[in-house]
Amino acid sequence: MDMLTIFFRSAFIYIIVLFLYRLMGKRQIGEMQPFELVLTQIIADLATIPMSEISVPVLHGVVPVLCLVLLHFFLTFLSSKSTKFAKFFNGKPIIVINPNGIDNVALKNLDMSIDDVFEALREAGFFSVEQVQYAIMETNGKLSVLPKSDFAPLTASDMKIENEESQIPVTLICEGKIMKENLSVLDVSREDVLDFLKKRKIKSVKNVLLLTIDRSGQVFLQKYKQKYETFKLTEGEIYDKIKLD
Amino acid sequence: MTKLNWIKVGIFFFVFLFLIFSCVLEDRMVVYALKNVRDYCYQIEMATEVNDGIVNGQVASLVDNLEYSWKRDEEKLCFLVDHKAMEQLGIEIVRLKTYIDEEEPIEFFTSLEIIKNYVETFQHFMGSSYKNFL
Repeated sequence: MDMLTIFFRSAFIYIIVLFLYRLMGKRQIGEMQPFELVLTQIIADLATIPMSEISVPVLHGVVPVLCLVLLHFFLTFLSSKSTKFAKFFNGKPIIVINPNGIDNVALKNLDMSIDDVFEALREAGFFSVEQVQYAIMETNGKLSVLPKSDFAPLTASDMKIENEESQIPVTLICEGKIMKENLSVLDVSREDVLDFLKKRKIKSVKNVLLLTIDRSGQVFLQKYKQKYETFKLTEGEIYDKIKLD
Repeated sequence: MTKLNWIKVGIFFFVFLFLIFSCVLEDRMVVYALKNVRDYCYQIEMATEVNDGIVNGQVASLVDNLEYSWKRDEEKLCFLVDHKAMEQLGIEIVRLKTYIDEEEPIEFFTSLEIIKNYVETFQHFMGSSYKNFL
């Protein structure tokens, strides 16, 4: 009987914690502010107590977790309203490399060593301090690097090349299923998609692993167990229906 | 404010009210259940004095009532209070009945004192006070 109780308690607490995390946002651990990280760790600890201890009421786990979430909402609200408050709780970004080189004082304030900076630089794709104009330690612990112009990657604008604006591909079929909610994005109907497949000699939607189309008319089509193909839509098929830019 | 923000504010207030409700409910229920037990303890003590002993119908009836009352309250308290924290009280109440059957007054009064002490100190250990807060 104990096992069954533990099973239901675990499921119940899991759902509550999942709901609360969704409510707090979608940040990954690496993107969390200090108080968010602390909150996550405490909630994880608190949630496990009533899961395994049957004598402890579920409410003894839920009440402190809800209390922390409430405080989180409150702190987030205050942080959004007051810059000073946000700086106090989250800290502020600190420049660790400037045009003069490494700022030793800033590193000491951050309790960081030169090795830590080099590691962060390498993660950012830079292997020498010479390549860096500015490096800023963000409040979430990540290093943002502005390279010197000599070492910055060449872009199309540097070469004065005119490019088409990038478009977001819209998924119309995923794993053999038509994405109904995406059809309206391209102003096409289910019949249009089926017609498109028919012209491509694909018998069923179930044969398609992935079909995406963007507003420029670029298609990505991959059938199950086959290599993908990409092409531009030709006039006459679904092309006429899509709101092309 | 966006619709999502309004929903968040709604949930915020709901959680806030839920927490207040839970805390007040627990406090009231624990106080009520322990007061019942304490009242019965004093009634049992008086009954033993009036009847000059523990082996009589009135004391037995009061102990039965105490057991019934505690079991009823304990079921509700299980949602709010740690089971292990209340275990001792139930055990001592059952012992009272056994001591009446076996006619052991010293053990009976010892158990009664343990119950009274438990009731008095429970609030001290578990109740809302600045000492417990710290």
